[in-house]
Amino acid sequence: MRTFLALLRAGLKSNFGLSVLRHRLLRQKKDVWMVPLVALAGVSVAPILYYYFQLLKFVYDLLAPIGQQAALLSFGLMAGQLLILVFGLFYVISAFYFSKDLDVLIPLPVRPFQVMLSKFAVILANEYLTISLIVLPVLVSFGALGGKGPGYWIEAALVYLLLPVIPLALVSALVLVLMRFVNLGRRKDALIIVGSLLLIVLAMAFQFWINRSTRLEPDSEALVRFFSSPDGLLQRVGSSFPPSVWAAKALARGLSAAGLGQLLLYAGVSLLLLVGMAAGAEALFYRGLVGLAETSRRRRGLTRSEISRRISSGRRPVRTLFLREWRLMNRTPIFLLNGTLTVILIPAMILVMARAGSTDSDLTSLFRMLSSGNALLSVLVSAGFMTVCGSLNGTASSALSREGSQFWISKIIPVSPRHQAAAKFLHSYLVAFLGIVAASAVLLGQLGIRPAVVVPALGLALAATFILTAAGLAIDLARPLLDWINPQKAIKQNLNVVFALLIDLGFLALLGFSCRFLGRLGLAADAILALLGLLLACLAALSWHLLGQFAEKRYPAIEV
Amino acid sequence: MAVGLLRADSGSISINGLDVRTDALKAKSLTTYVPDYPAVYERLTGLEYLNFIGDVYGVPKAERLERIDTWLEIFELGPAVGNPIQSYSHGMKQKIVLIAAILPAPQVMILDEPMVGLDPRASHSLKEMMRRHCEAGGTLFFSTHIMEVAERLCDRIAIIHKGRLVACGTMEELRRIDKEQQSLEHIFLELTET
Repeated sequence: MRTFLALLRAGLKSNFGLSVLRHRLLRQKKDVWMVPLVALAGVSVAPILYYYFQLLKFVYDLLAPIGQQAALLSFGLMAGQLLILVFGLFYVISAFYFSKDLDVLIPLPVRPFQVMLSKFAVILANEYLTISLIVLPVLVSFGALGGKGPGYWIEAALVYLLLPVIPLALVSALVLVLMRFVNLGRRKDALIIVGSLLLIVLAMAFQFWINRSTRLEPDSEALVRFFSSPDGLLQRVGSSFPPSVWAAKALARGLSAAGLGQLLLYAGVSLLLLVGMAAGAEALFYRGLVGLAETSRRRRGLTRSEISRRISSGRRPVRTLFLREWRLMNRTPIFLLNGTLTVILIPAMILVMARAGSTDSDLTSLFRMLSSGNALLSVLVSAGFMTVCGSLNGTASSALSREGSQFWISKIIPVSPRHQAAAKFLHSYLVAFLGIVAASAVLLGQLGIRPAVVVPALGLALAATFILTAAGLAIDLARPLLDWINPQKAIKQNLNVVFALLIDLGFLALLGFSCRFLGRLGLAADAILALLGLLLACLAALSWHLLGQFAEKRYPAIEV
Repeated sequence: MAVGLLRADSGSISINGLDVRTDALKAKSLTTYVPDYPAVYERLTGLEYLNFIGDVYGVPKAERLERIDTWLEIFELGPAVGNPIQSYSHGMKQKIVLIAAILPAPQVMILDEPMVGLDPRASHSLKEMMRRHCEAGGTLFFSTHIMEVAERLCDRIAIIHKGRLVACGTMEELRRIDKEQQSLEHIFLELTET
């Protein structure tokens, strides 16, 4: 146990960078400016949380009169667990098999299951943070609105602590078996990309199936039958992932025998899976690691003439650096999935969701409604959708962090920081552009929005994304995360990416409020759009100028 | 500090009369650097990395081709240069970083423990290159813990102990510090005795 705790402590410190943070904050006094920034980021989440709580209260009040309020729990818990199930694969594969600390851990006199469980616990800690914004408000709302006693809150804490265990254990078991019995060592990059895409496709198929299966039968007898049980809707919502139903029932029924029985079932299965995974780790973990250090290489070397042909004849530095960004991003699976592919996946998911719900799905109807009604609103919503698709990825806000320990090269080359930042900007903007193009295609092709709406929206989105790309890059310039051992940390677990996302959402909300204000002043739609376009163009020019200046200031100050 | 990795708290550094802080780009274009650990872009092939360095230092194609060809042969890296760097051993990575440092034909080379990870043949070729570079009028600034290498190769030697410069000069000048000590190793031990 002592060994496990030592491993866990080291893992948690390394994962959250606690020792480094303490050193930088208390000894070097370097990141002190971060404290108010983190506080500001926390405050900026408050309005989103407020609206989420309002929505939950609305749904609760809607369901309570028909006795179906427990469905809220099942929705929240299932959302959290499915999120972990789908995205946990990234964490599990990279933490178990591709993190660089394995070179240090494997030679230690500790059992494989101890190493694996310590890594599992670190992922668990990350997941508590990931799902907190989705699940905790549900648990709090249900408890507060239902006037629950202390028993509920204790049970809720237990349910929350166990929530990631079952999905993570399932993903871990799958990965353990896959890595042991399929010789993927030399094709590990392909494994991460194909596996992740497969899970996303499965999630989409699942969404499709849920949309179909949750439609209620129209006959009144079935409806009466459905609502006669207080668990009717709860069961229906959570039916695709039974552990969510067990947990929801345990909380809904409280400390009664039935409630405790469900809690016991939920906790028992979690524990059983954990023990099973530890046993599996002892047998399979290290065997799956064998051969992972190997990478594919050509059997035959390049001939002299081939080398001669491939030697470039002198590109301009910005082009060279752009090419480096493009290659490194797209050849590193974690970066590819969280950057370039994300911008296409969001529109693709919207497309599937729209199609899954047939022609009259909520999403399609919403866009059609917007399209047929207020022209200004249609353009703004379309532009917002394009901007979200282009900007909500970590490409710009991890542009320096992704270089990690190789950042020394950028420090010594004779290329000005302004040009280096320009190359990174162009790369990030190209990725965003792909997202905007994909979003435009969905708007035009699937949602039937008129070109007269899409074209001005495209102009606004390109300008807004320009500003947000510069902002993302500036955040990473201010605080690059270079000392990572697992590429996940550079992009997926990088606070800069979170800051940038909050800024993106805040910026869009601000633009929305500004337009609403201008509308109330009685300005015509065309005038508002023209003003907005002008404002964005000016801000884009200003952000480009400021980015260059900031890069000149920051590059020499970043120490490796 | 000389190559821009760290900022100086005080004082200044000049390379060929160029202040590395105020004339950073010009100073960098005269200098190349090899770190103690060859952390390079693992997802690029060796040739892509060399092309990258050639591009940012503005090395013309003919010179680039000639130098790459020569050094790939000397370091026996030709068969692997088309493979991703992540498939290289530590020694191969060290060699690709060294070729990248030689490629721009810089006036000043700063090498941190350049022999680590090299096989004897590669190490010998590197030492020859270092000597030739200095004979051609270039400057080579390198750190090592192997006293024999420093004694045999260097025109001037500096000894640093616990972050402080305790001696600096030619081998002859260092010998004058303690006439009984003839080898650099003994001089080093004498000077750093605590």
